Amino acid sequence: MSTSSAMDLKVQEYGTLKVPYEILNKRFRSAQKTIDRELHGFSGSLNEIEKSVESGASNENVMKMLDGVLEKLQSMKRKAVDAIELEEASAKLCKRRVEHLKDHASPIPSVVTQWKKTRFDRMVVDHLLRCGFYDSALKLASESNIQDLVNTDVFITAWEVEQSLERKEYETCLAWCHDNRSRLRKLKSPLEFSVHLQQFIELVRKNQRLEAVQHARKYLNTAEGVQLEEVKQAMGLLAFHHDTPVSPYKDLFSVTRWQQIKEQFRYENYRLHQLGDLSVFKVTLQAGLASLKTHQCYDDSTKSTDCPVCSPLFNQLAKPLPFAHCAQSRLICSITGKLMNEHNHPMMLPNGRVYGEKGLAQISLNGRVTCPKTNQEFNLSDAEKIYVM
Amino acid sequence: MEGCINTEKDVDKLIIKFDTYKKQTFQTFEHLVQHIEKLKEDIQNEADFQNSKSQHTVIAQANKKLKSHGQKLSSQHKDLHSSVSRIGKTVDRNFDMECGSINMHEILPDHAHHTLFNQAICEHFYRQGSVSIAESIAKDANLQINDKWRQPFVEMNDIISGLQNKMVEPALEWCARNREQLHKEKSDLEFKLHRLKFIELIKKGPSHQHFALQYSRHFQQFAPVQCKEIQQLMGCFLFVKQGLSNSPYCDMLSDDIWAEICMDFLHDACRVTGMSVDSPLTTSFSAGCQALPALLAIKSVIEQRQCSGALSNNDELPIDIDLDACQHYHSVFACPILRQQTTVKNPPLRLVCGHVISRDALTKLVSGSKVKCPYCPVEQSPNDAKEVFF
Repeated sequence: MSTSSAMDLKVQEYGTLKVPYEILNKRFRSAQKTIDRELHGFSGSLNEIEKSVESGASNENVMKMLDGVLEKLQSMKRKAVDAIELEEASAKLCKRRVEHLKDHASPIPSVVTQWKKTRFDRMVVDHLLRCGFYDSALKLASESNIQDLVNTDVFITAWEVEQSLERKEYETCLAWCHDNRSRLRKLKSPLEFSVHLQQFIELVRKNQRLEAVQHARKYLNTAEGVQLEEVKQAMGLLAFHHDTPVSPYKDLFSVTRWQQIKEQFRYENYRLHQLGDLSVFKVTLQAGLASLKTHQCYDDSTKSTDCPVCSPLFNQLAKPLPFAHCAQSRLICSITGKLMNEHNHPMMLPNGRVYGEKGLAQISLNGRVTCPKTNQEFNLSDAEKIYVM
Repeated sequence: MEGCINTEKDVDKLIIKFDTYKKQTFQTFEHLVQHIEKLKEDIQNEADFQNSKSQHTVIAQANKKLKSHGQKLSSQHKDLHSSVSRIGKTVDRNFDMECGSINMHEILPDHAHHTLFNQAICEHFYRQGSVSIAESIAKDANLQINDKWRQPFVEMNDIISGLQNKMVEPALEWCARNREQLHKEKSDLEFKLHRLKFIELIKKGPSHQHFALQYSRHFQQFAPVQCKEIQQLMGCFLFVKQGLSNSPYCDMLSDDIWAEICMDFLHDACRVTGMSVDSPLTTSFSAGCQALPALLAIKSVIEQRQCSGALSNNDELPIDIDLDACQHYHSVFACPILRQQTTVKNPPLRLVCGHVISRDALTKLVSGSKVKCPYCPVEQSPNDAKEVFF
């Protein structure tokens, strides 16, 4: 049991740890940048003092400059400490999450039960975030007190960008690109290019063709490969009116391109934070439903109220899924819901229906039983043992 | 688990390093400030500093020192990089990135299924008692919630929150409305509720004695079934004066019985409304937690052997999933000879000796007009085999 539950951690929890790690990594890099930048400024002002001494500055002047450096040091220190504290906070978040994950193997059963409940809520929150149900996700996260165990921040930032794209504004998206420039470059993301291209198209649409050309010169001249082809095509737009029926220009003017950018952004955001583009909740549920799905779930005479796949909503949802594989018989008495085995022997009534020994005893009255399925009445003594290998 | 421990080790190391680095940073800044102060002092002390020959060298030397000190800030921070990136590598090594890559038919192929799925999640929170979350999901997902559908959940929640505040009246009222069905389910919920109310009265001590006595009339209707329990309860009166906590009845005072009654009520309420006791979403999810690792493992094996069709083309999972016993809801009979599940066309048959095999297996075993049971030496006519229904 413990090995199998460790396996579910392995397959389900990548994002739980990897996302805060990516943030930690990003903060590390930006802290390094801050420190280097500040140091550069610091040595610059030192050089200045040296220079002014060379050109014979007065003592007072040198003193004043040194005081300036001291002041600079203060702000430098503040910036450096802030950056380091941000990094530290990310590392501590990683730690907090690992600690939570470790609870799944706790020797105290109640801790494990709570852990499982929390896992369920965590995965639902993630799923809701992916659906764009931000309000519900945040509500559930705060009600279950798991805010630091779910990656809400990443999604909320994304939400802001997506909303602005919906309003056909690109500033927020470009700011996001700028914020994550080095990572995006590493991922060879075409997102920034797409946004700039769209900006160009919008300028043409508004008939600001001269501005469009300037914009293209500034942002689209670094294109190569496939992008170069796209740019060439887009430049062709300059010759057309925005309601042209000529393909491919008609498609370039289409507003659905905004939707595409939104999807592209969402994909890059997942990639950037190593989120994977599927909801773990959905995938897990899918696997669970398939492993519970039997042919009996789709036959009204054999449905069971406790079986999830038999419940109306899930019955529909599980339709496209494969059935569970079963090479070994597993008999459940429909009276008691208990397993039938050597301790609860399966018995066949004369009509061929099989129930457990205990179940029959439970419903028998004065040596007679009524079959719950067919309502036929039999002597209990007429039930025959069956042997299932 | 190992993955967690490894990751934790790396994170701990980094946190310690951050701590050290922070201390170093403070020190470095202190040094820098001291150096500059010293420099200032030197300049001030030497009145003729401006014209002295050493002026330039002093400043240059001081600058060099300051810069090298400052540079330490950057290089020490850079040294942290290996510890940072190690965490990422450990996570990559110990956790699987793509859990979503099992080739299964999508359960959400279209909008209609998305709505169903959202509805399922919404329903889950209704039954969990998180009405506000359920309603928020309904709003976000644009679900049409039928008031009639929602009503039983809201009612159940009101009753449970009543019970949590030790109020049995709403629950009793519900019992009265559903008495017939509860009786069919052989539920003792109503008796248990009266019992709790009675205990609460008894607890109040001698002053409330006669209220308790009066209340005990409610037990009459349960006399045939709960005779023993009632006798025991009435025995409480012997100890009212000295306090029940020092009596054999002390376990009745624990608050656990209130938690129990909530569970009992939930169970019976689900039964009466024809719902499963556990939320189907929770049950399927926890089954999935067990199934997912196994499915991913078999998938990688299948891919290595390059027969990837095996996962997606079949309408059956490629392997048995080991679920907990309580997660089996239906009888499944797999023919022990053919290792296949039986179907309507190939039903299970009981041989005269009691062994059950599938019809196809029986046909294969027949020789002449006789068949020998593969598990015991009984020879019989295949026509004597009888179809069974599990």
